[in-house]
Amino acid sequence: MRDFLELAVSAAASGCVYGLVALAYLLIMRPTGIVNFAVGEWAMLGAFGAYVASSVVQLPYAAGVAAVLLAMVAAGWLTERIAVRPLVERGAPVLAPILALLGMLVVFRESISLMFSPDPYPVPYAFGFGRLELGPLAGSYQSFFIIAVSLVVFAATWLFFERTLAGKCFEAVALNRRAAALMGINLARVTTLSFAAGAAVAGLAGVVAGANISAHYLMGVPLAIQGFTALVVGGVGRVEGALLGGLLLAFAEQLTIRYAPIPAGYAQGVPFLLLMLFLLLRPTGLLSARERSG
Amino acid sequence: MKAAARWAGTALVLSAVAFLLSPYYNDVYRKLLLWITLALSYNFLFGVCGQIAFSHFTFYGIGAYAVVILIFQLGLPLPVAIVAGTALCALVALAAAIPSTRLEGFYLGLATLALAQLFIVVLNEGGTLTGGTGGLANYRLPKVFGFELSGPRYTVVIVLLLIGTFALLARLDHSWFGRACRAVRDNPEAAAAMGVNVARTKVIAFAVTSALAGAAGMVYAFVDNTVNPPIFGLENAFLLLFMVIVGGAGRHAGAVAGAVFLFLLPFVLSPLIGHHHVLVFGVLMVAAIVLQPRGLIGIYDELRRRIA
Amino acid sequence: MSSGAVLLEVRSLTKRFGGLTAVSRLDFDLREGEILGIIGPNGAGKSTTFNLIAGACAADAGEIRFAGQSVLGLPPHRIAARGIMRTFQHNRPFGGMPVLENVLVGAHTRFRSSLWRLVAGGGTAEEERQRRRAEELVDFVGLGGLHGADVGTLSFGQGRLLEIARGLAGEPRLMLFDEPAAGLTPGELERLAEIVRGIAARGIAVLLIEHDMRFLLPLAQRVVVLNFGAKIAEGTPQEVRRHPAVMEAYLGDAAAL
Repeated sequence: MRDFLELAVSAAASGCVYGLVALAYLLIMRPTGIVNFAVGEWAMLGAFGAYVASSVVQLPYAAGVAAVLLAMVAAGWLTERIAVRPLVERGAPVLAPILALLGMLVVFRESISLMFSPDPYPVPYAFGFGRLELGPLAGSYQSFFIIAVSLVVFAATWLFFERTLAGKCFEAVALNRRAAALMGINLARVTTLSFAAGAAVAGLAGVVAGANISAHYLMGVPLAIQGFTALVVGGVGRVEGALLGGLLLAFAEQLTIRYAPIPAGYAQGVPFLLLMLFLLLRPTGLLSARERSG
Repeated sequence: MKAAARWAGTALVLSAVAFLLSPYYNDVYRKLLLWITLALSYNFLFGVCGQIAFSHFTFYGIGAYAVVILIFQLGLPLPVAIVAGTALCALVALAAAIPSTRLEGFYLGLATLALAQLFIVVLNEGGTLTGGTGGLANYRLPKVFGFELSGPRYTVVIVLLLIGTFALLARLDHSWFGRACRAVRDNPEAAAAMGVNVARTKVIAFAVTSALAGAAGMVYAFVDNTVNPPIFGLENAFLLLFMVIVGGAGRHAGAVAGAVFLFLLPFVLSPLIGHHHVLVFGVLMVAAIVLQPRGLIGIYDELRRRIA
Repeated sequence: MSSGAVLLEVRSLTKRFGGLTAVSRLDFDLREGEILGIIGPNGAGKSTTFNLIAGACAADAGEIRFAGQSVLGLPPHRIAARGIMRTFQHNRPFGGMPVLENVLVGAHTRFRSSLWRLVAGGGTAEEERQRRRAEELVDFVGLGGLHGADVGTLSFGQGRLLEIARGLAGEPRLMLFDEPAAGLTPGELERLAEIVRGIAARGIAVLLIEHDMRFLLPLAQRVVVLNFGAKIAEGTPQEVRRHPAVMEAYLGDAAAL
């Protein structure tokens, strides 16, 4: 039992990271319909940003994170300007920006590999390395930090969509782009904002996860797959689905490694298997998008 | 008959080249021919039929591993192994295609991406059967009718594979089937109204092109006389997509141009930027989609029009 | 005028969307070589009727028989194979193919060579034959000279003509037109009416869903009027024009009649 609770905390932390990546997808997919597979590279950029902020510039942790998030907003804006805006303006099919973003994925990854050696780079812990016991739950400081940060981000996103006018604009665009445009919502601005917000959330995932896995130029694609799996498992339409999917995926992975009588290497296959099964059998995910009236 | 003569002539010329090249350039030439072969079949799936899949190298890998395992671990004779390997590829392709071609747009891409990654996990964990992360090596192509196929003579086998793939795809393309594929790509609802069975068309296109990738994989198995997991991973699947898009998706000439261009580019670039040519691939991919969606072949068309 | 055998029989056709009955117990017949128009105010169920016949949506009750056999619930591609071809109200060309290739897609169900034959290099004679037929059809609708044109360069009216040629390539016994007059100039309307008459003269049954009565009434031999999903009148254009229920349904829109 003790063993399980220890595992539960670390699984919940990984689940929150997957959830954040899933949220980054979601923020962009909802209003634009674009699956941005480069979110994993954004997380990679975030992790490298945290390394540079702490080890090169030697900023305090909070200032470093703030600087990284600002840089990520810029990166998201730039990504949209280069690989999305010209295509949307031309009226290209939605697959065109998706493919262009695959190109951007390679550009991000290879730019980092050009600037850094292929070694892992250390990313700082928020509160150093230590162990916290909360009643029966025990885990590293960083695990609890990841869970807390993710809950705040998810709560804020949820409130944004449910309680603010700007959030409703995103919703309206998600439901019907043409009607939203007729209502005077600036589609181009919503698209830009969604990329900026997606990049910030993905970058944050990279910053907090990087402490455990270090920054490496190849870390993006696995995170992109895990995040998308979380999204598909939880349900593509909903903010809370992204978190739920992330948690389920992380628990499935960790329980497989810990308890399933198969070679540990096969546990790497869990997200792929889940992704395939959900896409084929239940493409709406566990929580389907809420029915909305007219 | 005229078409047959043209194919035969092309095969002859491409084969003759192999006998003029040094062993090193023969190896480069073989890889180039294989990339062109794969780009042609992938173009039919992605460019002609509009299905985005990342499993092309998975089927290439299934073909390669299957033929090696069947011959050297199960002791089957080469012809039997080739037939069984092709059947296996077609079967796996059908099993993958029937459920997954229902997925719209990029979701097919993600499902096949998961399949591709799963394949790598299985290869890495396959123990002595697949050789794990090191793959299988130290085997040689058995004699074919008492004839040893090595050096430039094996390059001829690859030329025949390329010409066979090209001829088959060209025939399909210039028929009701090719038109049905393009119709499904351009407007599935209108295609159905014209009598095209959309689901069946997608499944056939996926299965045929995947089986062609499998056949190419069987030929590849004896190029380096080793098969190992990274060759069949996502990196090459992305590169194949980039080749087809940069060359000009939907046209055979585009696939050939893209494969030749992106394959040869690193040889030109390596003195300048070392092994960072992949960055250039990414930039070219974005530039092609944003600035020139018809790819290299579109630029060529434009130039020809201006000169004429 | 319409002396051909009955080709299409629609009986008690019903379709509901939630609580709304879009088509309610609809009956009508259509003969070979006949031009039948279905009219009605917005939301009368015209489009739903069209989609039910074309197989684009499934009926809740009733029967559709074509050439004596039920086609109810068949998917669109099987309906096309039976000999029912259609046009789309908002033109839906295959953008990546030139005009002639678009028309050849319409002939899809007419090809007999198997995939194996194609791979073996066969089927070229059939391909040539269909290509010549497609060329004739392109000329018939008045797009001669545009065989190799990129469909993106066609005007809206030319696109509508392409839709018709593409449908005819399937050698239909019944041709369905979804609001064919929408968006056309007066000159194009005249040309369209001529083409529709030419199609019927070949013995092909024609069913038009139409909003524009100034176009439809002179063209159709018989008219079915729908309102709120139900048939409120049926007859020759002259009879329908004077029908009290029709006058009532179109009240306030009298100019349209």
